[in-house]
Amino acid sequence: MIALLLVTALAGEVDAASLRQRIESHRGQPVVLTFWATWCAPCIKEFPDLMALATRRRDVAFVSVSIDDKEDARALDRFVAQRKPPFPVYRKADGRDDEFIDAVDPTWSGVVPATIVYGADGKRTALLQGEHTPAQIEKALREQGQ
Amino acid sequence: MRIAIAALVVATLAGSAAAAPIAIGDKLAPFTLKDAAGKDLNLASLAGKKAVVLAFIATQCPVSNAYNERMAAFAKEYEAKGVAFVGINANKQESSAEIVEHAKTHGFSFPILKDDGNKKADDLGAQVTPETYVFDASWTLRYHGRIDDDKSGKAIASQDLRNAVDALLAGKDVPVKEAKAFGCTIKRVGQ
Repeated sequence: MIALLLVTALAGEVDAASLRQRIESHRGQPVVLTFWATWCAPCIKEFPDLMALATRRRDVAFVSVSIDDKEDARALDRFVAQRKPPFPVYRKADGRDDEFIDAVDPTWSGVVPATIVYGADGKRTALLQGEHTPAQIEKALREQGQ
Repeated sequence: MRIAIAALVVATLAGSAAAAPIAIGDKLAPFTLKDAAGKDLNLASLAGKKAVVLAFIATQCPVSNAYNERMAAFAKEYEAKGVAFVGINANKQESSAEIVEHAKTHGFSFPILKDDGNKKADDLGAQVTPETYVFDASWTLRYHGRIDDDKSGKAIASQDLRNAVDALLAGKDVPVKEAKAFGCTIKRVGQ
C-alpha cells in the first residue's frame, strides 16, 4: 500500500501559471483543485470532508489553494499544521485577484469555496462554485468517467 | 441590447434553463423589494438620480464586513452627488432583524433590501458578497464587480467602484467595466 503523505506545512505560493503547471504535472489522473480561505466558514466546514475524500480517492490528485492574504498567512500556517491534510496546500501569491481568477477559469466568479475538476487529459470538466459535498465532487468525477 | 428581465420571462415560458444574467450595456427593469424593515422600495422611485449602485452584501461574510466602513462612507459621499446606494441581502440564513441590527451597528444610511428566494441575485447573476452593479440614469448597467482591489483597505491600488461612478458623473466612459474579486458565496435557497 502506498503511504499517504500528510502535509504539515504550506507547499509554497502559486500564481495562475505555476498553478497550471502543477495541475499539468498530474496528467494521466484526474485532479480536484479547491480554493478556500481561513476566513471562509463554509470552506473550513468542508475541509474535513475533502480530507476524507482525498484519503479515499487515491486515484485522484487533490490540490488546494488558499486565497488568504499575507496578513492571514500565520492563521493559514497554523491551520495546515493542525489539520495535516493529505494533499498539498498552496497560498495564492500576492498579485491581482481579478487576473488570477480569470486566468484560472473565466467562468469562476471568485467565490470561495470553489472546486474545479480536471480530467486525466488535463481538461477542466467541472466548476463547482460555493460549498459542495464529497458526493457532489464524486458525481463530477463520475461524469467525466472517473 | 438585451433586457435581462425579458430574457428571464422568455426562458421561463420556454421551460428552459435560467436566463443569462444581466451584462454590461443591458437595461434593468426597476423592481420592488421590501427593505429589511419590511417597507417596500421601488427602484423606479430613484428616477432622477445620476446613478444607482446596487450592492449585494452580507452580515456574516468577513469580506463584505471588511468593506462596511468604506460602503457607509461611499454612500454618504455620493448621496450628495446625486447617486443612490442600495444594499441587497440575498443570503437565506441572514434574517431581516439581523440585517437591521447590522446596519445600525455599522452606521449604514442606505437602504438594504431583502431578496427573499434570491430572485434578484439570480436575475443579476450575483454570486459573491460584496458585489456591486452600477446603473446610469437610464438603468443601463455600466459597471459590475468589486468595490476596490484590497479587502484590507491598506493598499488599495484600484478604486473600481469609485472610478466607475466618477466617470458616469463626469459623462465619460467607465474605464474598467468589470472586475472580479474573491468573496463569500451568496447562500441561495435550495443550497
